[in-house]
Amino acid sequence: MDLVNIAIAATPAFIASAVEFVEATTIVLAVGITRGWRAPLVGTALSILTLAAIVTVFGVALVNVIPEHLLLTVVGTLLLLFGLRWLRKAVLRFAGIVALHDEEEIYRKEVAELRAQGLSRTEWDWVGTIVAYKAVLLEGVEVAFIVIAFGAKGAAAMNAAIVGALAAGVVVIALAAVLRQPLTAVPENWMKFGVGAMLSAFGVFWFGEGIGAGWPGDAASIPVILGIFLVASWVAARMLRGLVPQGARVEARNV
Amino acid sequence: MSSVLRGIWDNTYGLLVDDGQLAIGAIVALAITWLVAQSGNDAMRENAGWLLLVLVVVLVIANLYRAGRNARRRVT
Repeated sequence: MDLVNIAIAATPAFIASAVEFVEATTIVLAVGITRGWRAPLVGTALSILTLAAIVTVFGVALVNVIPEHLLLTVVGTLLLLFGLRWLRKAVLRFAGIVALHDEEEIYRKEVAELRAQGLSRTEWDWVGTIVAYKAVLLEGVEVAFIVIAFGAKGAAAMNAAIVGALAAGVVVIALAAVLRQPLTAVPENWMKFGVGAMLSAFGVFWFGEGIGAGWPGDAASIPVILGIFLVASWVAARMLRGLVPQGARVEARNV
Repeated sequence: MSSVLRGIWDNTYGLLVDDGQLAIGAIVALAITWLVAQSGNDAMRENAGWLLLVLVVVLVIANLYRAGRNARRRVT
């Protein structure tokens, strides 16, 4: 496998995983600072083991059992659905129609809830373990999905996607450990916007390959497809700013 | 444990579907592209990927336009 294909698997896995790790880290940090670190670290470790099992079982099954053309079609479909969801939400957030993800606010709420539950000094802190386990698992399912999708092209791609996701985890955890506060400076919406466009572009490309369509220059078409998604999203964001009155903030999920 | 499983299912479903119309529209676009690639001649199959791209881009812009109109109605 050449460097281009390794980068194709590792880069989106790194960026998308970083976004999810930031969200999970906010919760683990809240648990650690309010209730001590042992319980949330055990919860996080258990969750990582669960996610590793998910990636191993589904990843190996996908790569070894399903024929390549069908695999590309299925993975392309899933990536397109996943990517369009992120892209749509990011554009709506840029336009002010959906509220931006606020790590500071989430952190404050989580700390208040955890403090309200109290802490026993004599027993194992199951609350801390379970809260951390759930947070890492729920955010990590998205990471697992991305790793499996980008790794579906073979063992080398799978390894590259896993390395990308792990590298994101290491960077985010290291930053959180140093700063000891939620990573509010991370431009989450920009990252989600970029990853949404990237996933959508790969979805279109792989679905096309799966059904036997041709792409000029093969993987060289991906930046062109990505560029078209980015331009279309920029046009859509401008259109929305024109449609919705300046400064309007609408807290509504199903807009 | 059941709440964890429920959470995983909700999250997995939520991974792919945020707006039902967008998800259904994307599946319809994929189905149209697949039909064109299967039933058409070689030239049509060769260009089916670009057809999918056009369909999806139009779908995204139309979906966001609808979202913007809904938001404007709520504001006013």
